Amino acid sequence: MPLISISNLSVTLQKNTILSDVNLTLASGDIIGLVGPSGCGKTTLLNTIAGFIEQSQGQIQLNDFGVINTITTEQFISPERRNIGMIFQDYALFPHLTVAKNICFGIAKQSNAAQKTQLITLLKLLKLDDLADRYPHQLSGGQQQRVAIARALAPKPALLLLDEPFSNIDARLRNDLMIELRSLLKELKITAIFVTHNKDEVFSFGDKIAVMTEGKILQTGTPAEVCKNPNSFQVADFLQLGAWLPITTIESNNLPSHEQGATISYHSALGLIKSTLSSPKTKTFSENKLVLLVKPQHLSLHANHDANAIVKNITITEQGYHYQLSSICTQNDLAFTALSFYSNQALHLEQKIAIKLNIDDLVIFAMADTHSLITST
Amino acid sequence: MLLAIPIIVMLVSALTSSSDLYLHLWQSVLPNYIINTVLLGAYVVVLTLFFGVISAGLIVHTNIIGKKILRWLLVLPLAMPAYIVAYLYTDLFDYAGFVQIALRDTFHWQSPQDYWFFDIRSLFGAACVISLVLFPYVYLLTRTAFEQQNQNLLRAGRLLGLSPTQNFIKVILPLARPALGISASLVLMETLADFATVQYFAVNTLTTAIYDTWLGYGDLSSANALASVLMLFIFIVVFFEQKARSSQSQQKSMSNNQQQLIILSTRQQFLACTFCWFLAIAGFLLPFSLLINMVFEYSTSEQFFKLLASALNSIELALYAATITVLIALTLALFQRFSYDINKTWPLQISSFGYAIPGTVLAMAMLATFGPVDHSVNDIAIYLQLTEPGLIFSGTIFVLVFAFVVRFAAIANGAISSGLKQIPSSIDLAPASLGVGLKTSLTKIHLPLLKSSILGAWLLVFVEAMKELPAVLLLRPFNFETLSTQVYQLISDEMLEQGALGAILIVLFGLFPIIWLNSSNEKIAKTQHREQDFAAH
Repeated sequence: MPLISISNLSVTLQKNTILSDVNLTLASGDIIGLVGPSGCGKTTLLNTIAGFIEQSQGQIQLNDFGVINTITTEQFISPERRNIGMIFQDYALFPHLTVAKNICFGIAKQSNAAQKTQLITLLKLLKLDDLADRYPHQLSGGQQQRVAIARALAPKPALLLLDEPFSNIDARLRNDLMIELRSLLKELKITAIFVTHNKDEVFSFGDKIAVMTEGKILQTGTPAEVCKNPNSFQVADFLQLGAWLPITTIESNNLPSHEQGATISYHSALGLIKSTLSSPKTKTFSENKLVLLVKPQHLSLHANHDANAIVKNITITEQGYHYQLSSICTQNDLAFTALSFYSNQALHLEQKIAIKLNIDDLVIFAMADTHSLITST
Repeated sequence: MLLAIPIIVMLVSALTSSSDLYLHLWQSVLPNYIINTVLLGAYVVVLTLFFGVISAGLIVHTNIIGKKILRWLLVLPLAMPAYIVAYLYTDLFDYAGFVQIALRDTFHWQSPQDYWFFDIRSLFGAACVISLVLFPYVYLLTRTAFEQQNQNLLRAGRLLGLSPTQNFIKVILPLARPALGISASLVLMETLADFATVQYFAVNTLTTAIYDTWLGYGDLSSANALASVLMLFIFIVVFFEQKARSSQSQQKSMSNNQQQLIILSTRQQFLACTFCWFLAIAGFLLPFSLLINMVFEYSTSEQFFKLLASALNSIELALYAATITVLIALTLALFQRFSYDINKTWPLQISSFGYAIPGTVLAMAMLATFGPVDHSVNDIAIYLQLTEPGLIFSGTIFVLVFAFVVRFAAIANGAISSGLKQIPSSIDLAPASLGVGLKTSLTKIHLPLLKSSILGAWLLVFVEAMKELPAVLLLRPFNFETLSTQVYQLISDEMLEQGALGAILIVLFGLFPIIWLNSSNEKIAKTQHREQDFAAH
């Protein structure tokens, strides 16, 4: 039994469809990150799960420690009865209450003794021991976040929601805090959904990732799976997995192209690319104009060869020089721009060089998909 | 600084007057006056908080029907002078009033012994009438506070197990505490300053006592002493108001447009509507329509010309007051902006304190200051063998204009300095970088940018000066009537019918700043939203 399963969820606000047909399941103890460009509906999804927005279709099933709550359009459960905790982007600490009172706010119905034990445990766990009598405005950003976490954990929620939890944290502290919070949630076996627009946060904080655009979840999986096999151009592009090299299919030598074991060849500005249709996952395309995902590690300098690229931009990074390359001929269909590649060799701007492509698993999408995205953003 | 002198003179003269006087006052009337004043203040604060907080809560946090209209209507009672409502309601609810006559007719009661009816001419009656016109202070400030509350805080409350109603009590109200504090102290100041309502209801408070001791018995030193006691109360209230304001600054929060409304059941909806409409009707719509009715029934052209004469006096007075006040406010605000003196905020702050001073106290202060000045001027004239100029300060409209300038400086200061704040400080520096001097930059940049604030400040002071009553009653030259003194005179003589038109004019003048205030509030809210939208993208 998953901890939460969302099926066919749609939300319409003032005649605008914000979420459409969202499906998501999450096992107990998992941490999932919702990513997507701003305005894609991720915060709405969080607010719908919390109960601040009513869904217009579909259902949410919540496993509250064995009690199954099913929320449908007919059967709404108000936020205070869902046993869901939330950490807000601005932490939303009550400014008129001390740290201790903020933390105990959600467990006010318990006996004083029980409240006190819980408070002491949480203060210790979140290293807030000395701050119990302070007011929120007397705390640093990181301390405020820890109070918000303690307050959300006090009522022992079945599910924890986090809305851009690290956006207000200084960039230098962010990574440490993410590691700290992740190990805390894992230690307490807490299931969590968090929202961010920063993909790197998902990679270091989440067990799973869900990529959203325009109110839909495009792909869900572990970060490694999604990076390796993005299921659409949008996913690969949002996660910035690499640059795009235009290619065209060459009609393969009389072999039906969809058969396993067949070889397909493509033309590119960097030469001929061959792939064997080894796995059924490899898609075939009806159209001829395609793009190939090229990561920096796929490219290397090719000595004693005709030049096929030109250096357009140079930056210095911790991994050596970072070059952006364009094709020499910029007019034809196979022309490329902004292919990224790292090297220790010093090149100069406008230098013509020869590079070589080494890819095993080709990630290819139709060129037409990229246009729709480019025009929409 | 000059503006604060009269108050200091009054306090000094009260402190230095013989101790017998205080003893005498304390043994005779003072305890009673103080008890009445305190009770009145307490009743009014409790009632206005009850009216204002509930109506603000209903408008902001529920799906009450007719929200758009009620939002506005609930502000309007502020334009109704309490003494006019007092008169109208006495007329309506008295033994000889329409309501009791109708009740007696319906139930065939013969005399007052047959039934119990609420006595409006009492301390509590006065408190009710004053509360009906003052609750919009609480309503307005609380509503703004509710609307600007961070929605995430309310959401956090819900997720931590509170129902919408519990959330209102445990999160929303405590968060609005500073706004409640400020509005309660404003209400208290206005109540302490109220003179005409309590006088009409024959409830003895400190303000009526000041008036009676001076105009009735001509005892300036006792009046001064009473005024000083009242001033002490005001100091206390101002102190608490300042405290509330300082704690408000800590709770600055952003507003969020996705409000979670409490959905009312049919029964709750009915109760909520009744409550809000009762306030709107009792505080404004009913008295206003009664006035209009009076105009149609009793107006004659003779009254009209009499009112016109006093209206012209009012306008003359208000013109002087508004122009001088705005000029002073402008000078002070610009001084504060451009001066490098560390004490530069002082003049503006001191001059802003005047609004807290009740009109009666201010009048006593003027008399205490300019009376002796006039006497010495006349003595000098006699010494120089010139004709005596008479009471050129305290006996002319000079003293009235001076009092108005002191009392309304705060309004003009507020409007002009908030206008000035919207001009970014980099604009002060830009002209110098372009080789233009301070004088040119003031006339070419700051004054044109401040145009609407200056106009707004001028209009607000003008309107307040038109409405002011107690100070004018005490300070006006012989046979000098303004619109408000004439209406008040007619009310004391139980003849408001003849001055209904004047009363309507006063109300209409009172509506103006409210509409201005409301729309500028709305404007500020809108720009804030826009800024947030901008920041979000």
